[in-house]
Amino acid sequence: MKIASLRTSLAWAAIFALMPLAPAFAHTGTGTSAGLLSGFMHPITGVDHLVAMVAVGLWGAQLGNPAIWILPIAFPLVMAIGGLFGVSGFDLPFTEIMIAISGIALGLAVAMNIRPPLWVAALLVSVFAVFHGYAHGRELPEAADPLAFGVGFVIATGLLHLCGILIGVLTRWPVGAQLVRASGAAIGAIGGYFLLSAMGLVA
Amino acid sequence: MKKRTLIRGFAAALALVGVPASADAHLINTTLGDFYGGVLHPLSGPEDIVPWFALAILASIQDPRNARWLLFAFPVALVGGALLSVVAPALSISPAWNLAVIVVTGLAVAAAAKLPFPIFLGLGTLIALLHGYQNGQAMTRDTDRLLFICGVGAIGYVFVTLITALAISFRQGGRDWRLIALRASGSWVAAVGVIMIGLQLRTSAAM
Repeated sequence: MKIASLRTSLAWAAIFALMPLAPAFAHTGTGTSAGLLSGFMHPITGVDHLVAMVAVGLWGAQLGNPAIWILPIAFPLVMAIGGLFGVSGFDLPFTEIMIAISGIALGLAVAMNIRPPLWVAALLVSVFAVFHGYAHGRELPEAADPLAFGVGFVIATGLLHLCGILIGVLTRWPVGAQLVRASGAAIGAIGGYFLLSAMGLVA
Repeated sequence: MKKRTLIRGFAAALALVGVPASADAHLINTTLGDFYGGVLHPLSGPEDIVPWFALAILASIQDPRNARWLLFAFPVALVGGALLSVVAPALSISPAWNLAVIVVTGLAVAAAAKLPFPIFLGLGTLIALLHGYQNGQAMTRDTDRLLFICGVGAIGYVFVTLITALAISFRQGGRDWRLIALRASGSWVAAVGVIMIGLQLRTSAAM
């Protein structure tokens, strides 16, 4: 009986000894990693941002060369100007409404396969980029690490464009092109929901 | 028999993996702790990594004969900047310099600009001097300065060399989109720099 009890104790001791001892961090929401993570998640967790960014990539892929590379390169730069406004505390009106309209406009452009001159497409995307950048910039001064937050949201924005471009590769096949246009329509609908929400018409 | 051996081996491996021992390499005994301190200090935040990354990508776009000089000049200037922090620890360097070089380097990558050699090398040297100085300021009285500065120089060399090599190898696929991807990363860096300039202006105005 005693031997059995000893064996059980030894088994429990072995199990406890094998448990890795991790330090308990009391303040996890601070520092570079927290700033990077919150910045990275900002465009991803905000569905209104997410769909508009993917739409930029989709539209670029639909328009083909050179829009496919001009739009994703120009967008972060123009977005940074909006970020400047946000960081500096400048009051840019109708931000939420314009972000919602960006989803509608870009979604419709993809759904209807609209092919304007490159400068028109770049101008439209740039105007929307200012409002998206402004929304991110407003959050930046309160971030745990503002530089890391900025790096995070710019990388996430770029990766969302890339997602759109990769989905846009489907336009090479007729069925895929229809799927991309359907995605545009869905993005437009989501933008419509956010517009109603920004106007206080839906909860 | 084989099955039993396999089970024993698996159990032994599991036990080894699960053992809660911290991996201490006895850095104090080796007296190399400050070297690793110098290596890790620039990697502990994006302030150094972001412009180093952009500079390495910019180097991959330049003529190889010009780009090779950066691999020599960059770590030397890093060490020079860190030494300057020892000699003149109280120099007031405006943060705007750091942000300006981030924006300039990022824009140069976004434009895939082949810069004249003196400008390219001057930009790389300026970044290294600024960052070497700022990393050097992290040294305390107890820090072994020689080891710390060697660590900063070593990581600068390794980081820029590896990223440049990776970027060149990435581009060698020959597809147009690969250069576009590198250029997009430059626009990201420039965007971060522009936003940080805004934050700097806001902070300066508040003070």
